[in-house]
Amino acid sequence: MITELDILKALVILTFAGILSYKNSILSLALSTLVVFLFLESNGLILMVLSVAILNLISMLAIRKNQIAGLDYALIVFMAIATAYVFFTSDIAELLVLFVVVSVPTYLIVMLDEGKLNVDPGIKYIAFMVIATVVFIIGSAVLYLGYSWQNSTIYLLGFVALLIGLALEVGVAPFHEWVPDVFSNANPISISIIASLAKFVPFIVAYKILLMTATELTSLALLIFAVISAISMFIGNIGALTAKDPARILAYSTIANMGYVLAAFSAIMAPRELVYYAIAGGLLQLFVNAFGKIGFFNAIKGGSSSLSNYLLSFSFIGLPPLMGFWSKFFIIYALVFSNYLWLAILLVLNSAISIPYYLRLVRLTEVSSKSLITNTVATVTAFVMLITLIPPVWFVELVKEVLK
Amino acid sequence: MIDFPLNEATLIATLLLAPIISSLPVAFAWLMEPKREWTRNLPIIAVFGLFISLICSLYILFNFGKLEEAVKIPFDWLPGYNISFVFIFDYLSKIMGVLTAFIAFLIGVYGLEYMKHDYRLGWYWFFFNLFTASMLLVVYSDNLLMLLIGWEGLGLASWGLIGHWFRDDDDMSFVGNVGRKIAGINYFWSPSLGAWRAISTIRIGDMPMFFAIAAIFFFAGTLNISEIHWHELAEKLGAFGIFLILFAFLLGPFTKSAQLPFSEWLMTAMTGPTTVSALLHSATMVAAGTYIFMRLSWYVEPWNIHNAGVESIYVLVLFLGLVSAFYGASVALGCLERKVLLAASTMSSLGLMFATASASKWVGEFALMVAFWYLVTHAFAKATLFLVAGHLIHETHDRFCVGGKDLAKHLRLAFLATIIATLCLSGIPPLTAYWVKSAMDEVEHSLEHEFGLIPLMLLVLTSAIYSAFLAKFLSLNFLKGDYKLKAHGGGRLMSFAYIVMGSMLILLLAIYLIDHEFHEFVEEGFLTSSLTVGLVVLTTYLIGLAKPRLESPIGKALGDRLYLAFLNDYLVPKLGWALAKLVDYGNRAIDFFCHRAIPDSFNFASKSIRKVQSGSVERYLKISVAVILLLLVVAVALGVIV
Repeated sequence: MITELDILKALVILTFAGILSYKNSILSLALSTLVVFLFLESNGLILMVLSVAILNLISMLAIRKNQIAGLDYALIVFMAIATAYVFFTSDIAELLVLFVVVSVPTYLIVMLDEGKLNVDPGIKYIAFMVIATVVFIIGSAVLYLGYSWQNSTIYLLGFVALLIGLALEVGVAPFHEWVPDVFSNANPISISIIASLAKFVPFIVAYKILLMTATELTSLALLIFAVISAISMFIGNIGALTAKDPARILAYSTIANMGYVLAAFSAIMAPRELVYYAIAGGLLQLFVNAFGKIGFFNAIKGGSSSLSNYLLSFSFIGLPPLMGFWSKFFIIYALVFSNYLWLAILLVLNSAISIPYYLRLVRLTEVSSKSLITNTVATVTAFVMLITLIPPVWFVELVKEVLK
Repeated sequence: MIDFPLNEATLIATLLLAPIISSLPVAFAWLMEPKREWTRNLPIIAVFGLFISLICSLYILFNFGKLEEAVKIPFDWLPGYNISFVFIFDYLSKIMGVLTAFIAFLIGVYGLEYMKHDYRLGWYWFFFNLFTASMLLVVYSDNLLMLLIGWEGLGLASWGLIGHWFRDDDDMSFVGNVGRKIAGINYFWSPSLGAWRAISTIRIGDMPMFFAIAAIFFFAGTLNISEIHWHELAEKLGAFGIFLILFAFLLGPFTKSAQLPFSEWLMTAMTGPTTVSALLHSATMVAAGTYIFMRLSWYVEPWNIHNAGVESIYVLVLFLGLVSAFYGASVALGCLERKVLLAASTMSSLGLMFATASASKWVGEFALMVAFWYLVTHAFAKATLFLVAGHLIHETHDRFCVGGKDLAKHLRLAFLATIIATLCLSGIPPLTAYWVKSAMDEVEHSLEHEFGLIPLMLLVLTSAIYSAFLAKFLSLNFLKGDYKLKAHGGGRLMSFAYIVMGSMLILLLAIYLIDHEFHEFVEEGFLTSSLTVGLVVLTTYLIGLAKPRLESPIGKALGDRLYLAFLNDYLVPKLGWALAKLVDYGNRAIDFFCHRAIPDSFNFASKSIRKVQSGSVERYLKISVAVILLLLVVAVALGVIV
């Protein structure tokens, strides 16, 4: 359990770290890491979020000479704390704030580079994020209104607006236009943060708001989620088939993965046991995506071993016993038993379509000279995929514990 | 007898396995390179195995109750599916088993001398004994699936034996005039081609038969012929259903027994060694088809079932049998090759068996008895004639009917055996086949109410022709053929075999006359009508004897089997190629879809998806806003509807 007092402590330390970064970036790194360790004693799910953040911190060392060197560490930990806290709060105002808190630091991070500031992807990204944030917040408000007034038109309007905001924020097709351009033009390390740590909060906030405002209309409205998720899977996977640039392939892969996570939403009105599987599947898919993208973007940046690349690819494809198998398995399980058989079949089909480009990706990211930092980060992410050698019933238990 | 069940199992195992195991020494010894001279003595063991089978079958004949009594011996096979190995010892199988084992043994003895100098003894004896064992399995099995095992064993062994001289290097083993062509296709057949024609024709019938057995199991719940409630089955499936199942099932017997239009393989099966022809044409293979039909009718009891489907099947078999019999006899009349002539005559006899057995629908069990005893009579006579033909081919080095009085003097025993066999088979009073044929006349006559006199007329016509060509066979080979004798030695073992075989006909005659069971046969024989038919047959026999050759275009066409060979050699390959082409198109379609259409469409889709990424943020926002508006419209519309 994270209390508001813990957050306050963390914010104070991070502020100091930000100020000190003007003098010495190493001090900022040390203080930021300290904050992470302050939160370490919590639940296993939080531990996984924090390990994503730590990997982001370490990979940030690969572009030490960026424009805001030092401050970036504090921003990452700031996002991590927000992500950890989102599991525990159920206050709608706090949730919306967390949504913004995770979104805004990425506006800066996306433009970071070792030489000139990366303005082009920055503009595209920020333009979409601003619309996303606005639509999401307005959508939540309208949704809540429709729920309180029991007006189905307003409810559905808010519902769709929320979905659009979420889709724009994380890059679900058909709102994915920014993703390939930003992913291929920005620095790989900054993208590795946007593609990993920044993806958790929007989904969890959306889930919590949907649950708060659930009416008998929700089941029907979730059909729109299912359709959008299917579109996203297909556009992502098929688009990746002919993409040549590895960063672009990863962009389309992200679009597809966001589709998988969105598919899990279709089952949230199902009986309780199934909902746990759906949430566990969605969250695990987010972790697969986060670790996998960190590993691959590090490989693009400075190279990594082909063994770890293979492990990551197989995990994305969904080969047992890697993590990517279990996440899809949980999602499919929940879908099949909540009358979304067709979506489950499409998901399986999409996994098959994805095989060629993930294998191609391994070859494309092969480089002879490897930097120590990127290689280490990529290897760690690859071995994280193996934690599901113990069948992740434990993960479902963690989710149950947190969402009780 | 200490432990009865164990003894039954041992008995059956010995009966079926003795021939196979005893053939293994020569089969394996023959694989050795270089060949040793002593391995040529090993076939004696194989023949001894056949002898053991004969003893077992005799034991079964005398030790399982009265002749009419049916004893069933089941062994568990697939208990969960109610399928067991069920051996049945009843009237038909007891006699048929002895007949098969006895003829196989005698032909085995004959083969010891006939095949002495062959180049593939291991192959020959293994398949010969496998052939016998398969037939015994077919004879004694009550379970259709188990019967199918023996049935397929027959097919396999016949392929091995017909194509025994697989090198195709000896004109003596061909059928037809070597080098002859009609309308562009070869009108002669080598052993390997003969084997292929046999197995391919048989398989055409076996497939529907297999499905019919599956269907019977599905609907009846059991596979034991004697336990299936045919009456209920016919009612359950309706007329068309039972017709379809029985027809599919009988396609197996039709092809095996070479009824029209599946007769061609039997004619070219003569490319095999003569011993094989003898066995194939008397008690195994072709007899299996008619035997199965009799066994089926025995338990179907069609005379008790009033169902249009069952009736149609029996009408079909009746006329198919009669027409095949007539066709076979006519072809034999025009044929000049010793073995092919006999092959056509076998086809004719098989047709008569089918026709008579199918008359049981109207006449009752008596018709089955007549058909069965005609099978027995025919088996001995035909085996004798084939064995003689083999000896003649050895002696004269000619496949065609040649020979004169010199030859008759030289091969007295062969001459004698031929006289006995032809006289006894053609139905001349008062010899063996006469009594059976008289009963057959009566059976066909009783169909007058249903079909008029057509069946009887066809039968009499067939009998008359039948007797004429038998006489022709005798006359051309021993009396009036042109042939200069070149004396050869040996042939004692061969002569012994066919003399014993021929004398069986005399024994059979005695049984018909003495045994009370056959009093009906004898009574029919003393009717004026039967005597008239007998006299007609005798007349044609004498004509055939006096004038064995008559040049005429009709005779030539008959000798060319009315060009039915075109069906196998021209039409069927065309169908086969058409099928192959169809498969090829399917293949290409799969190739096209897997290697072209699917990858291309994915390629196209993928490129279209990526085309959106022009790099212009303006465009991206336009698309996004358009989709946002669209979705909001959907939301409002849904809200209004709900």
